[in-house]
Amino acid sequence: MRAGLRYGVLIAVGVLMLYPLLWMVGGSFKPNHEIFDSIGFIPHEPTLEGFAKGWHTSTEYTFARYLLNTFAIILPKVVVTVVSSVLVAFGFARFNVPGKRALFGLLIATILLPKSVLLVPQYLMFREMGWLDTFLPLYVPSAFATEGFFVFMIIQFMRSFPREMEEAAVMDGCNSLQVLWHVVVPVIMPAIISVALFQFMWSMNDFLSPLIYLSSVEKYPVALALKLSIDVTEATSWNQILAMSTIALLPSLALFFAAQKYFVEGITVGAVKG
Amino acid sequence: MNATARLPRLVAALALAAILFIQPAPAADSQPTVELRMSWWGGNEVHRAYLASLRRFEAKYPHIKVKGEYTGWVGHLERLTTQIAGGTAPDVMQVNWNWLVLFSRDGRGFYDLNTLNGTVDLSQFDRDARDTGTVKGRLNALPVAMAARVFYFNETTFAKAGLRVPRTWDELFAAGPIFRERLGKDYYPLAMNFLDVLALCRSWVVQRTNRQLIDEGSRRLNASEADMEEMAAFYQRLVTEHVIAPAPERASYGNVADQELRPWITGRYAGMYYWTSAVGKLAETLQPGQKLVLAPYLMREGASDAGLFYRPAMMVAVNSKTQHPKEAALLLDFLFNDAFAVEAFGLQRGLPVSKSAVATLEARGLSRTLGWDGNTQVATLPHRVGESGYFEHPRVRDGFIDIFESLGFGEISAAEAGRRMYTDVNRILERVVRPAGDGSGS
Repeated sequence: MRAGLRYGVLIAVGVLMLYPLLWMVGGSFKPNHEIFDSIGFIPHEPTLEGFAKGWHTSTEYTFARYLLNTFAIILPKVVVTVVSSVLVAFGFARFNVPGKRALFGLLIATILLPKSVLLVPQYLMFREMGWLDTFLPLYVPSAFATEGFFVFMIIQFMRSFPREMEEAAVMDGCNSLQVLWHVVVPVIMPAIISVALFQFMWSMNDFLSPLIYLSSVEKYPVALALKLSIDVTEATSWNQILAMSTIALLPSLALFFAAQKYFVEGITVGAVKG
Repeated sequence: MNATARLPRLVAALALAAILFIQPAPAADSQPTVELRMSWWGGNEVHRAYLASLRRFEAKYPHIKVKGEYTGWVGHLERLTTQIAGGTAPDVMQVNWNWLVLFSRDGRGFYDLNTLNGTVDLSQFDRDARDTGTVKGRLNALPVAMAARVFYFNETTFAKAGLRVPRTWDELFAAGPIFRERLGKDYYPLAMNFLDVLALCRSWVVQRTNRQLIDEGSRRLNASEADMEEMAAFYQRLVTEHVIAPAPERASYGNVADQELRPWITGRYAGMYYWTSAVGKLAETLQPGQKLVLAPYLMREGASDAGLFYRPAMMVAVNSKTQHPKEAALLLDFLFNDAFAVEAFGLQRGLPVSKSAVATLEARGLSRTLGWDGNTQVATLPHRVGESGYFEHPRVRDGFIDIFESLGFGEISAAEAGRRMYTDVNRILERVVRPAGDGSGS
């Protein structure tokens, strides 16, 4: 009985939270004029027009191009983020270097720094390097553990398990990197997966950096492509945008469900054992 | 390539040898092919029209290649600002009129198109049109279309109330209570957000004062405190006489695009004071069976000027540092005057300014639109009083709107709002209007 009530409340709140998402999926099957008429998500005159027209876009390229671009940016970005964040976190958690506290403070300070402050100086820097209008400015900075939040999260995770295992590995003749690879990495796998997922989703939604660094339409990722048809002087074909948003959501959803178990564990452990 | 530029590249290449391996080698540039970059923002139809026009342009001038760099509206200004700051702006740019005061205070921010006369046919633009793009004697940009706000009403709703579309301010104010009585208390003759309110109140006051609201020269409002109080009181009157919805009610529909406002779609808000260049989208989202019409411009008794804010809806400018001014001018001329481009755009962006473009459209018998009719109406209205571009400066606009909001939500009285507009906006103007030659950003 109590369980029934509890599940009733949970389901009700869950539906409430998910409704906008359902509405988006429903909206993608509606003709454009129907979208603002009703709050219901079931289309009266279901149509695939949004998908067909949205996929072809008003540009020289189909939506597949923008999806591929997105992955060409995100995949290297996730890989370099994970590698660099784990290395730096391992350093902070296990080694004593002079000025470590100050450096750690600096790392935390970068989390608080608004990204837009760096925009113009970085733009000028990448211009000097000749990297404008390439994917490089979008992922190369991540190779230097610039996402302080991820480093912080992994450090917290590492603090939560005893050093004895690593000491045992050192006794068996492992050097630091071997300890990291054979002992630490398997244990912190949930945190690593969380980092990868977070970075994946955030990069997927990142609008400002591709907007600034990419000028060729052929290199646009999905986040830019979705906004390509929204203007102030003509009515927007929302059904096309909703349809393409639905498609763009699928990779994130699939990844999340595949890694859900580790993901939840990763955030909670990092959060609780501070 | 100088040494300072090479060093960071070398460092980066060493650190990331695994990731990057090829820098594009400079193409062996033997044939005189010129590549232009052009940027614009827009929606689906604008992109299609531009892309088709650019392909046709390339076919006409085989030695010129044009690369389109386009986005939606969101973020376009941020991107252009970064590019201009970084010296990587495209050769040809679509700009807004009020961006001229951002990027070209002294007139040197964009290429002086007067020097390209002949390549781009300036005789197609009358003096007024050229003046709108001229800064300190330099022709910085050419207008694509001109636009002003005029009155459009939902004839169907007015008919339901047994009324004709208002022809005078008195008829508009009389319609409010009748709407409430005959249709219901959530029916209003006008749909307005605070930006629309600002524009409408300005027109009301200027119809009496016959003066621009902002004087760039003195960097102050060209209006007295009493004028400002009149603006605030006018807003109050619109609300109390049921002409527009009170701010809390209007806010309950969310901050959505005008054409996506639910009571607009259903016809409960039956009018807008809107740009002739963008009115098309308003008619597009109305529920089937409703008709949007252009109304006569409302004038105060004895007014000798309509108090219009008549300005370019969109302009095209050339990068002041372009390597290919002549080719850029050819592209400009093609977009403004060539029959193919003119037809591709049609009335998408309002009625074109270029005389040859209008002639082309008339010859092809393009059907008249609400926007076209609006522009025709504007031409017949007395509109000698112009307005400074600073009226649309984000800080000035927000200064006004903040005060209107406080008034709308009942935090201050109309008299207080008028006083604050006078002091606050004057202070903002002194900060944002910098004398030319100062050079620093705001």
